[in-house]
Amino acid sequence: MLMKKILLSLSAFALATAMATADAEVGKSAPDFSVKDISGKTHQLSDYKGKVVVLESYNLDCPFVANHYNSGAIQELQKETTGKGIVWLSVNSSYPDAAKAKKEFEAKKIKATALLHDPKGTIGKTYGFKTTPHMIIIDKEGVVAYNGAIDDKAVTEGDPREARNYVREAVGKLATGGNVSVARTKPYGCGVKYAN
Amino acid sequence: MRKVHAFFWLVLWLLPPAQGYAAQTQARLVLAAEAARPGETILAAVQLRMPPHWHTYWKNAGDVGMPTTIEWTLPKGVSAGEILWPVPEKYSSDDQTQYIYNNEVFLLVPLSLAADAPNGPTELKAKVAWLECEEMGLCIPGKSEVAASLTIGPASKPSKEAAAIEAWQKRLPQRRKDIDARAIWEQPASGDSRALVIEWTKFTQADKADFFPGPSEDFLVKPAAEQLPADSGKVRLRKVVEKLSGDWPKEIAGLLVEGPDESPSACEVTLPIAGAGRTVAAVTGKKLWGMLGLAFVGGLILNIMPCVLPVIALKILGFVNQAQQSPGKVRKLGLIYTVGVLVSFGVLAGIVIGLQQAGRAASWGMQFQNPAFLIAMTILVALVAMNLFGLFEINLGGSAMGAAGELASKGGAVGAFFNGVLATVLATPCTAPFLAVALGFAFAQPPAIIMLIFLLAGLGLAAPYLILSFQPGWLRFLPRPGAWMERFKVLMGFPMLATAVWLFTLTSAHLGKSGTLWFGFFLVALAVASWIWGEFVQRGTQRQPLAVATSILLVIGFGAYVLTRAPDQIQWQPWSAAAVEKARVEGRPVFVDFTADWCVTCQANKRTSIEIPAVRAKLKEVNAVALLADYTRYDDAITAELKRYERAGVPLVLVYPKDPAAAPVVLPTVLTPSMVLEALDRAANEGNREDDRPKEVQKSASKTE
Repeated sequence: MLMKKILLSLSAFALATAMATADAEVGKSAPDFSVKDISGKTHQLSDYKGKVVVLESYNLDCPFVANHYNSGAIQELQKETTGKGIVWLSVNSSYPDAAKAKKEFEAKKIKATALLHDPKGTIGKTYGFKTTPHMIIIDKEGVVAYNGAIDDKAVTEGDPREARNYVREAVGKLATGGNVSVARTKPYGCGVKYAN
Repeated sequence: MRKVHAFFWLVLWLLPPAQGYAAQTQARLVLAAEAARPGETILAAVQLRMPPHWHTYWKNAGDVGMPTTIEWTLPKGVSAGEILWPVPEKYSSDDQTQYIYNNEVFLLVPLSLAADAPNGPTELKAKVAWLECEEMGLCIPGKSEVAASLTIGPASKPSKEAAAIEAWQKRLPQRRKDIDARAIWEQPASGDSRALVIEWTKFTQADKADFFPGPSEDFLVKPAAEQLPADSGKVRLRKVVEKLSGDWPKEIAGLLVEGPDESPSACEVTLPIAGAGRTVAAVTGKKLWGMLGLAFVGGLILNIMPCVLPVIALKILGFVNQAQQSPGKVRKLGLIYTVGVLVSFGVLAGIVIGLQQAGRAASWGMQFQNPAFLIAMTILVALVAMNLFGLFEINLGGSAMGAAGELASKGGAVGAFFNGVLATVLATPCTAPFLAVALGFAFAQPPAIIMLIFLLAGLGLAAPYLILSFQPGWLRFLPRPGAWMERFKVLMGFPMLATAVWLFTLTSAHLGKSGTLWFGFFLVALAVASWIWGEFVQRGTQRQPLAVATSILLVIGFGAYVLTRAPDQIQWQPWSAAAVEKARVEGRPVFVDFTADWCVTCQANKRTSIEIPAVRAKLKEVNAVALLADYTRYDDAITAELKRYERAGVPLVLVYPKDPAAAPVVLPTVLTPSMVLEALDRAANEGNREDDRPKEVQKSASKTE
């Protein structure tokens, strides 16, 4: 009954509004997707059921994102989380082909599980990515547990390690089975660009 | 010139992507004065000149971007105030909104010179940092160190930039004391997003209006502003506020904006948010005490309301017997009864709090909108009346204790407790005079106060019984126990019966004419069953099993029969755009009722003009699909649909003609049965609109289809 209601309201929403950007709401189940990464491997969200999944909207040309990668802080966080069996998917929607992203992946020694090639915004639009970087965390049950900024410092320079990192906090809480205390923040950064 | 620029930026675009783009915006510090006296305040401005198609940001950047920051290095005796931000431009692309400055902006900062600021030339320095973004979304951070010199001395002298600064001062939002503006939550809190209505008296002639929210941490004000119909000379906007963490904001700061996007006028305001539901002004201690007093008195008065009086009166009479027994036990029972009342009131308060937390409007007596509750109450009160008439006895909790009417019983703890519960349940239909005020007040308060007021009312209800259980001597004026008590008990059955009749009539709104009749018959069957039970099961000695079977069969059998004759209600289906589409494709007319539990007009419409036999019959006749859009809880799809029909909220009743291409008919806010019936008639005959045949003929034609 509830499922039916959800389905009905979802379809109504899709029909009723032209700009059907269904945001990933905290506490709601995360919509499934199937997208190829920069090396052509397909990643489907439902494959990762039972694992915490971190989604990161990525665009190295954005100075906010660049600061996280140039300082090496985000790579450390990626390494730390994936080391705990968490899946970290960086989502790149700004390049029409994967070659440039592939170069960046190597040059910046990105430690994400995968860098998804999403030029059409399959994930970005479904999840309502507002900015780069915009972080969404999905818990083991496939429910959105965090939606917002990566940390509390919206800056393009300085050491991100000094900021309060919401992703690290949320992932830590989820690992111990606790509730994410800060589950929603305002994402900061540059607008999300799509290749086409 | 423009072309050259365009070419230049194109080249820049094509440069290998790297983090190495240099910012192109130029920053400069200018002062309104060359020389100033100690004690004066002068205006400084950080001037940012952006290349064409690039912009920098306002203090609330919007969905993306970053506000410009200024970090001052000032000589002794000079201090800088907050940045005064000129009115920005609202720029939306895709579904992102930004508040930006194009081409050029002067960020003004008042500089105060202390009275003892040392005389002589000084240098003012600042580090300016900004984010410049291009229309397509490319962003580059920029920073610059800027400086300007000022002579502090006996004379002040404007600089040659003074005129430019003055021109930018005019572009600051106005700060008017006389602005008449207010912000109200449209609904009680529900989930994480909530509509806020901002209303103000216009300060320009422009029709277009908007609200630019200031920066906020714990909540987001969605950029979309929906202009609602307003009285002349006023503006009403609906903005959706999304809560990120913590409580709902108590006030909102930002700009009231009027006029075109390119050259808007704005007023800077901070508005307290008044609210539906739980947002309330702080309660003064005195008022709270007053309300608590009213709650207690109101509870006390409940005792003499017709729905409670019989139970209480009889219970008090019980003392006539009990007082002669053991005073200690009576006291104990009095306390337990009080606990029963308090627990019940606590549960009621809990329900109210729960509903409010879930974002639903709660009110005293709201349970009377629930047909199941009404039916259950009617049955209960009728049974109590039958009991008082002596048709049967009640044994609550299985122990040998007396319930409502059992005077001579010994009375057990469980019984006393449930007596308290029963008194409370029976009290709910009666809003005693003082209680209405106190509860009306309570419903808009935080949970703790709601609980406190309910408990005080409960204490009031329990007080007479409690006091008498400690002072049974006060009942000395009553006659000795005897046969008169049995008569009194029967007498008390009549107000109870009156209450049952009143409740019974309330059910008719839900059950319809024939439903009410059958429910009435069911009550009679119930009375017969209770008599059989009392006469042959409780008091009889023979054929008890047969009597048990008869009375149970009577109630269940008749109940089931009544249910099959259940009132024919409109077969509502949940509304969705898809459901409308589906029905229209099938060529059926569609009747949509956008409604909400808290919407009084909607409920009135439903009672008078929708859920009535004539409309039910008409819906069947024209083979219409009835869809119910329940807006009791906030719903995005319904909000969007209401907006499409330019309604600020429910009620909205739409009738889609059976011709799928025809536009729906929007019915007036307040309905009469004939409006609904006519609209349905037209909807059924809209199939051939050019047809000029009179209505009656069309109707029969459509029937034969």
